[in-house]
Amino acid sequence: MILKKKLILVAVLMISIQLVAQDFAVTGTVTGEDNLPIPGVNVVVLNTTRGTQTDFDGNYSINVSDSEVLQFSYLGYGTQTVIVSGQTTINIILQEDTSELDEVVVIGYGTQRKSLLTGAISKVVNEDLDQIAVSRVDEALIGQVSGVNIRNSEGEAGSAPTIRIRGVGSITSNNGPLVVVDGAVVGSDFLTNIDMNNVESFEVLKDAASAAIFGSRGSNGVIQITTKQGKEGKARFTYNTFTGFKEGRRSDAYDIDFEGELQREIDITGGLSLGSQMRQLINAKNDWQGIILNGGAIQSHSLGVRGGTKKTKYNVNLSYVSDDGVLLTDSFERYQAQAKIDTEVTDRFKIGASFTPSFSKRRRFSATGLYDVIRQPSWVPARLDETNINFVNRIRDGGRYADAQVGDYVLQRMFDDWAFPDGATSIFDANGNFLGVPVGSGTDVSNTSNINPLAKLLERERFEDRHKFFGRLYADYKFTDDLSFRSSFTTTYENRINTDYQGINESRNGAAGANSSYDTRSRWALISDNILSFNKTFGKHEINAIAGISLEHRFFEESQIETSGFTSDLIPNVGGGSIINQGTAFDYENFLNAFLGRIIYSYDNKYLFNASIRRDGSSIFGRDVKYGNFPAVSAGWVVSNEEFLENADWLNQLKFRVSYGITGTNDLDGDFLTENYPSLALLQPSSAVVDGTITNAFDPVNIPNVLLQWERSEEINPGVDFGFFNNALSGSFDYYKRTSDELLLDNPVAGTTGFTSALVNLGTVENEGFEVELRGRFVNTEKFRWGATLIGSHNENTLVDFGDSNGQVVNTNDGSRLVEWINLEGQPISSFYGYVFDREIAFEDLRDPFRQIGAKTQFVYAKDLNGDGLIDEDDKTILGDPYPDLIWSFGNDLKFGNLDFSFLFQGSHGAKTYNLGDQYVFDFFNSNTVDFNPATAPDQEFLVQRIFTSQLVQNAGYLALRTVSLGYNFPSKVTEQLNLTSLRLYATGQNLLFITADDYTGWNPEHVRELTPLTFGYQRGGTAIQRTITLGLNVEF
Amino acid sequence: MLNFNRPKTKLMNRIKIYSIFILALFIGSCDLEPVPTSATTVDNFFSDDDEITAGIINIYNALQGSNPLEGDGGFNNPFLGIQIEYQMAETLSDNSRTKSGSPQGFDFETFTVTPETAAVITYYRSMYRIIFTANVVLENLANASSENVNRFEAEARFLRAYAYFNLVRFYGDVPLIDRVIGPEETEIAFTRVDEGQIYDLIVDDLQFAVASDLDNGFRTRASKAAAQTFLAKVYMTLGINYLEAQRLLEDVIDSGDYSLEANFLDIFYREANDETIFAIGFDDTVVDDSQGFSAEFLDAVGRGTGSNYATDELVAAFEAYGGNRGQYSYRPDPGNPGKWQNVKFLPIIDENVGVTSAPANPRIAGNDWIVTRYADVLLLHVESIMAGGLSTSAPAAIESFQMVRDRAGLTDPVTEITQEDLLNERRVELAFENHRFVDLKRFGVAQEVLSAFSAANNHDFQAFELLLPIPAAEIAISQGLLTQNPGY
Repeated sequence: MILKKKLILVAVLMISIQLVAQDFAVTGTVTGEDNLPIPGVNVVVLNTTRGTQTDFDGNYSINVSDSEVLQFSYLGYGTQTVIVSGQTTINIILQEDTSELDEVVVIGYGTQRKSLLTGAISKVVNEDLDQIAVSRVDEALIGQVSGVNIRNSEGEAGSAPTIRIRGVGSITSNNGPLVVVDGAVVGSDFLTNIDMNNVESFEVLKDAASAAIFGSRGSNGVIQITTKQGKEGKARFTYNTFTGFKEGRRSDAYDIDFEGELQREIDITGGLSLGSQMRQLINAKNDWQGIILNGGAIQSHSLGVRGGTKKTKYNVNLSYVSDDGVLLTDSFERYQAQAKIDTEVTDRFKIGASFTPSFSKRRRFSATGLYDVIRQPSWVPARLDETNINFVNRIRDGGRYADAQVGDYVLQRMFDDWAFPDGATSIFDANGNFLGVPVGSGTDVSNTSNINPLAKLLERERFEDRHKFFGRLYADYKFTDDLSFRSSFTTTYENRINTDYQGINESRNGAAGANSSYDTRSRWALISDNILSFNKTFGKHEINAIAGISLEHRFFEESQIETSGFTSDLIPNVGGGSIINQGTAFDYENFLNAFLGRIIYSYDNKYLFNASIRRDGSSIFGRDVKYGNFPAVSAGWVVSNEEFLENADWLNQLKFRVSYGITGTNDLDGDFLTENYPSLALLQPSSAVVDGTITNAFDPVNIPNVLLQWERSEEINPGVDFGFFNNALSGSFDYYKRTSDELLLDNPVAGTTGFTSALVNLGTVENEGFEVELRGRFVNTEKFRWGATLIGSHNENTLVDFGDSNGQVVNTNDGSRLVEWINLEGQPISSFYGYVFDREIAFEDLRDPFRQIGAKTQFVYAKDLNGDGLIDEDDKTILGDPYPDLIWSFGNDLKFGNLDFSFLFQGSHGAKTYNLGDQYVFDFFNSNTVDFNPATAPDQEFLVQRIFTSQLVQNAGYLALRTVSLGYNFPSKVTEQLNLTSLRLYATGQNLLFITADDYTGWNPEHVRELTPLTFGYQRGGTAIQRTITLGLNVEF
Repeated sequence: MLNFNRPKTKLMNRIKIYSIFILALFIGSCDLEPVPTSATTVDNFFSDDDEITAGIINIYNALQGSNPLEGDGGFNNPFLGIQIEYQMAETLSDNSRTKSGSPQGFDFETFTVTPETAAVITYYRSMYRIIFTANVVLENLANASSENVNRFEAEARFLRAYAYFNLVRFYGDVPLIDRVIGPEETEIAFTRVDEGQIYDLIVDDLQFAVASDLDNGFRTRASKAAAQTFLAKVYMTLGINYLEAQRLLEDVIDSGDYSLEANFLDIFYREANDETIFAIGFDDTVVDDSQGFSAEFLDAVGRGTGSNYATDELVAAFEAYGGNRGQYSYRPDPGNPGKWQNVKFLPIIDENVGVTSAPANPRIAGNDWIVTRYADVLLLHVESIMAGGLSTSAPAAIESFQMVRDRAGLTDPVTEITQEDLLNERRVELAFENHRFVDLKRFGVAQEVLSAFSAANNHDFQAFELLLPIPAAEIAISQGLLTQNPGY
């Protein structure tokens, strides 16, 4: 800086003593560091009125005299000056201005320079996110932003991760952030259909003051996505592609060692039971995990062209992603196109449009969870073959398997019920002849009546098709240089069709179990935003103000039909069935009217002030409570710009800031109708049979609540931003405390009301935490660069007030597979609740220790916590909660010449999960009989079912090497020969290392089965963490 | 539509631009009071007899319960009601068992029911759902025509009494809800009142229904005879008013509207027959109106692996007292010799039993559930004459008793009926029809019979188990207001 000032001074001096010199022309090319020409660079001769711009090819020509100073400037690049001393060619390489301090940040209905921000907003620029081989944009954001917890809660191809910003503040199931694409609020589901290659940047609004401009929907934070737009210059084509191979992470704990179990039985009892011998005889040595986690390929192709003139810019892009998923049968495919155009009609009037149609098709993994398929022991064959068919009992179950043929799916029960001679200890006689005789009731081998997992997967076709369209038009008119008005109109349309066919071999019930369903659902949204902006700088004062109206109208429509009565798989759609099980159709609409205003004022870039207000009116709430106000204020002090620090060379930036704001949530939890009309007592069609005739009726569906209101969140957020030593070390620290009250809850109510739950405003939840971001640029030379980023967040969630429901115990209400939570004040919203495991039943007290391969007992001893000599409800206690204490990431970027290398570690600690997968895989649900011997087992009053104990509560912490990437940019020698402007080849790996806690047995510690906060964080298997290795290519020409 | 060509004058330019903005403002016209199109509202409903009738039919929709076909074990559906009633009414007695530990009944079979047992929760909620839908009708009778208002009230009150009678017999003291209540009225919602008060409401409702304009025109809707039968059974459950009970039952008998089906099997496979007093209707063409219990009674056709199988004791009772009824009540499980399946509601064809038609999908079955039938009335008639005594030889009692036995081919004349004879007769006549557990209790022999049965089968029956536990899920949200039954 100082050097530059001196140069200018010298130049000015020289000019002042210079008499009129001879003019001559200087020409040259302005390029970036990547050797690509930069069009539109301002080239001026200082202290004169002479100036020009570079053309499409970055070329310029200007008349100068000796000793004049040429200045080259372009937004986003550092300004350069050159003193002319006779040269006729001056080529300039502009350095990209990497100083983040001057980045422009999208703040919602406007932008702001980052150096003037007073709220907690994180920006992630898509530099190489598009090289992470995932099919969804949100998955690529893992570990990129502090305070944002993105959990890969489902491993199925194309499934959405769970995103939480600064903890769980709401009690409704939707605790996910608001998603805003190019300024328009879209459903979170739109993240499925966004192509990362099209994304310019993400801006995450974390504190309430920043999110308050989105008012009633800002409580859970806001993720704004800005898509790429055209650039002035010649048409530039880019082709980005990657191909990767994925595999699912196995659970070693769930690999039950069949041979080892047999050996254990021999060691203890001196032999094998007849059942064990039968299993050993049939033993197919199947690696079920390997069969189901079959890996897959992922590939992406994206072809785009962007360019434009000074007035008109365009960006057009086509992309295709295909992801096989790591599971048998799951897959995801997406086609997307985007066209974006902006043009200045006059100097004051600008219009633009963008259109993004997309289509995706997803084949679902059709088992209810991995647990369901992996619970099959390894001895179970997948299909009948020439050998094992001999042990099919063709008479049992009324001759159900009489026609069993080689190639049929195996059902464990086919091999049940063999009789052996009285007292036989072997299934063979002395000559090795099989002694078994098929009978109706004899020696069993099966541990489940469920169908073969392969049949479950291969004989079911479950698809999810989505057609989406995002369209936006805007017009921007400048009344004066300071005052402008922008009106934009956005429409989003989504049609999702789910089809499901369960074939005649899919279930144990055969053709009777076959059914097919077709479900089509459409959503439209019409959004009109009208914003008046005023921006003025006078002296040291800078004011940015907006006032506007935003109107939204959303429609929804769904119809669904399900049929059964199939006799073959010939017509696997709803038309093939003979019975209509179900046919429904419904629709709804809702409206949101918002009025908003904001003023941002700064004095001398030192004192910063920001205030905003939004007033939202929603059709959802009752007559008297339709409107809510969402104000915010924030202020900042840039200490580093004070005179007393001007000479502190080591300090680039030091800014203290504090913000306060109120946001809301209007996302209700209920069925679609009650969500949209909760204040009305709704009646829906029903029917009953009156003497053989189906007769129509009307059925109440909800308990109305006319006073139902927005959930409210209040947050205070002090923070500091800093940069030291020429920004070699920079970062920020934020502390926040968010208090959410009037929580919208589908609260359990007394069954005596005729309902099980009702929507109410209830309770208070607090989230308190801090976030640290540290960025270092240790070495920054042309040959070698090294930078690192450390991000950490801590959040503590506390249920402060829960009214009448304080201490309520809620459960999954799932028969014999119950998980319980307690919602207790002073603790997190939900905590796992149950008995504390004390010890196993002694081996000698077991009734049938080798009942099944690898099975654990159903009962265990629990700790008598209150010491009253018996185990009852009072001995249940909190067993942990599903919310992490710390999530962090540590990334490094290194560049050696044309070679670059980066890696990102990420981890989460402190969360627990209730892993019901164990119950299935280790099969300790033994309904047939109690598994202890009542005559010998001591302390039977202390025995409880294992699933209700701390045995199932496991540590969900993990440490992962999320990405590691190696890239090579081919030098211009090579690219020029190939007629390319740039060429990059890279390889990345994801989750190459993934370490879970010792006691965690499942496939994915991040999996959660249900998302409602009151019953959050339990697993029934989930799907596996994916490891991916990818090769990619970026070409520009 | 709009011309963006460069305008000729600055004014023209501005007008065009402003018109775009104005257009944008009006596109999203802002009505904050949308009216639902896929539902109606209570405020706009119940305006005439047809709509009130729709409200009444909806009480029957609640009676049907949900087919446990779908969902997470079916238990996330809170209203399974009659579809799982067999677990507490038959499996909790000495009549039925699971084939091999199916979750659909295992806790009941082994007398290990807990407050978390799914059926305990869903049954409680289902009965209150019926009560709620009845109360909705009772609160919206203002627009009923004068000629129908009495019938409407009687029908809703009969159905409310049906639900309360079930609740009080299975759970004992329960909260008394006789109007639509809101979730904030926790005191009423969770406070259990004495059985006596519940019975007062039941008697009051049934007396109203008996005295009302109801006739005997329906089999799967309320009728005068159904109200009479229920009121008589309520009296006898309370051990009071035997004479009144006898008179009520004789009214049903003398009405001439009912008779025994000649063929025992026809009771279950010819719907709305002359023997049916009151049944819950089902249909196998629409899932919402279908039932899933028929499939549950088979081996691994429904959700479970065989429920409501006959116990050895029941089979023995049939052999001793059943006459020809056994062959229409159970069959040997073809897949599991030595085990017997209930065949009163078979959703599959079995020519041996005489069932010749079946629904396309056995899990979407249409067999009606018979709540009470003429044979029940005849045997209750005997019971009313016995009036709590140990035996009777009254001719009227003998006549009713003999009619039931004659059909079963047991034509030897009976001269005296003991309490034990009557109970055995009810057991084999009404097996699998959800009478056994409450019959044992009404006869005052439940503890004795179940203790013996339990001991013989290595189960652990204890006296407190004659009442089901109050659901844990309800207690958990009651802030200590809802109390548990002793022993649980």
